[in-house]
Amino acid sequence: MTDERIIRIDPVTRLEGHGSLTIKLGTDGKVRDVQFNVSSTRFFEKFLEGRPMEEAPRIAPRICGICPVPHHLASVKAVEDAWGITPPPAAIKLRRLLIEAKQLSSHAIHFYALAAPDFVFGPFADPAVRNVAGVLKHLPDVAVQAIKLMQFGQELCKTVGIKAIHPTTAIPGGMLATVSEESRDYWLGQIPELMENITKTVDLAKKVVSDYIDVVTKVAVTPTYYLGLANKGVHDIYDGTVRVMDPDGKIVADFKPQDYPDYYGEFVSDHSYATHIYYKPVGYPKGIWRANTLARCNVADKMATPLAQEALKEMRELVGRPSHHTFAYHYARVIEMVQAAEHIKNLLEDPDIVSTDVKLADVEPRAGNGVGLVEAPRGTLLHNYECDEDGMILKANLIVATNNNIAGIEKSLLDAARFVFEQQGHKDLKLPEPLVKL
Amino acid sequence: MTEPVPVAMAQGSSCWGCYQSLIDIHLHLADVLPKLDIKFWTCVADFKHQDLENYPDGSIAVGFYEGVARTEEDTHLLKVMRKKCKILVAFGTCSCYGGIPGLANFYDIEECYDVKFRENRTVTGGKVPSENLPPIEPVIRANNTIVDFDIYLPGCPPTSELILKAVTALLSGTPLDLPPHAVCHYCKREKKETPIPEILRPYQGNADPDRCLLEQGYICMGSATWGLCEGLCVNRGATCRGCFGPVPPIDSDQGAAGIGMLGTYAPIDPEKIENECKDPLGQFWRFTYPASRLGRIRIKREEAKK
Repeated sequence: MTDERIIRIDPVTRLEGHGSLTIKLGTDGKVRDVQFNVSSTRFFEKFLEGRPMEEAPRIAPRICGICPVPHHLASVKAVEDAWGITPPPAAIKLRRLLIEAKQLSSHAIHFYALAAPDFVFGPFADPAVRNVAGVLKHLPDVAVQAIKLMQFGQELCKTVGIKAIHPTTAIPGGMLATVSEESRDYWLGQIPELMENITKTVDLAKKVVSDYIDVVTKVAVTPTYYLGLANKGVHDIYDGTVRVMDPDGKIVADFKPQDYPDYYGEFVSDHSYATHIYYKPVGYPKGIWRANTLARCNVADKMATPLAQEALKEMRELVGRPSHHTFAYHYARVIEMVQAAEHIKNLLEDPDIVSTDVKLADVEPRAGNGVGLVEAPRGTLLHNYECDEDGMILKANLIVATNNNIAGIEKSLLDAARFVFEQQGHKDLKLPEPLVKL
Repeated sequence: MTEPVPVAMAQGSSCWGCYQSLIDIHLHLADVLPKLDIKFWTCVADFKHQDLENYPDGSIAVGFYEGVARTEEDTHLLKVMRKKCKILVAFGTCSCYGGIPGLANFYDIEECYDVKFRENRTVTGGKVPSENLPPIEPVIRANNTIVDFDIYLPGCPPTSELILKAVTALLSGTPLDLPPHAVCHYCKREKKETPIPEILRPYQGNADPDRCLLEQGYICMGSATWGLCEGLCVNRGATCRGCFGPVPPIDSDQGAAGIGMLGTYAPIDPEKIENECKDPLGQFWRFTYPASRLGRIRIKREEAKK
């Protein structure tokens, strides 16, 4: 392979996992191959075997420290599905409050800490400055607004989940901790400041999108299938049916989570420890799908809350439906942040949120096969456990959020690499003046 | 203002929850971040492995290593961190004792590959990936059997308050004093030293909010666990699963202490205990298996296979 030039980016930075990038170029300047090498794995599916079912929600959150709440909840839902139990309605409201609080903080950390440094300083600034500490130094107002959003979400997670990271409250049959009236009142008092910070975030996102519209519409515009949860067609992250949209924007499947083996395929690539999940009816690689913010906004007919719906309409006017624009994931992230804030407000105003009737006392294990599915910030998350009559796990299958995106990330990286190395398109991109010039 | 302190934050195989907990010091970030000269932190700044390797040995004042050495790359990164950092902190329970990923040591690595790559409900016939990837270590060894650490900061994750306390001490060069109490010390529930008639699983019934969970029959690791969490879970209704590891000294055996505690409290027929306490390894050694005596025997057996 002497004619090849290999570019390695190791590690890919500003993501919370482990990955590197391999780009192979031919002497003709053509891109031969792009690999996204996910370079670690920990075997949760194996070591959940032999554990009691009720311990899975206390083990599985360790898959991800940024999205432990969705793992906690997908896991407990899988156990409840296998055992045929439904927790009291107030417990489900607490779980919804928990997952929306997590959605808010995760999206805030992603938008402000992982992505924003590029917008703020421009993509070519020194790495020593182009990071969250740099934002704090040069744009303290923006940083404080970001920190307050993260803080709101994380501390509300702690109120409901006992721990913000790796929560411990969800148990088969309900929740172990309640929210006191005093605590609820405290959180209601924080809502006006939350909504103000959300509005400022939307304004910032709109500015960034219009400033970088040339990048958004030209780089990594990658048609794929899309996957996301929806509740009778409406955007939902806790409950509903699973929708698949094809690259032309047609909904091609809308199924119960339990039927996932008919729709989900898992491809083991030779260059990544993370498997590639795809739409099984059309096969791999044709059926590569993406999940996460933009995918959910693509598959949903509409958002569930008014401000979020308004924001979605604006986004669709700009980039259409479906949007294949990889950079529009950031925009969709902000729309979901708006919806999370509105949901949080509504849930806190619901008298049931302080109910003490949040746990069944008479839960019995039984042999079964259960599926739990929720939306994690980075995509649809599925836990499937099979257990014996004592409720001991025999088999576990986990389709974690990011695995739905690995093949799509690779595909969009290939598009971006062709744009840069073959078309030299980056030379003509219109980039705005950075917000902060160093 | 004094000069910022050179620091490096590295991630072995882990969930990144310890760094999320650092971010969760919230507005204190405005005090702490300007005092740090970040030399390496892949999730936050765009430095590459080569950057870290090229710094002079010992040139970084403080390094935090989160996670276990699941791959050869993790092991390498751990050794590089040791060389480059004057003070190396085992950051979080994975780094201190093996943590949850250490549960993989219950099984042979080939069995792990089977479930992940060869056979489950959505995969058939895959091969273990190897192109442009670091090889997987056949067994997880406790990080402190690979390099020496200066400070252990356990917790899954360590609380934000604990991290703030540690970082503040490290930056100012003052000693870090951590209280040596067990979780029970911080638990507000009433304890009457009553024996347990039967062991309950955590979903059974509704626990009395004012009485010791263990005395009600729910297995709680509070007495065997370092209380740096200040009793977070037990005070709000969830049993302790031991995520901060053993009460000091750092090399004591948490699982053995947990089993001992149950022995003291449960004058129950051994067969009945065996039937009711279904997963002792996963229950008592959940966070510390690779670093425990039992776990070390297992590691030796795995290594002998080579």
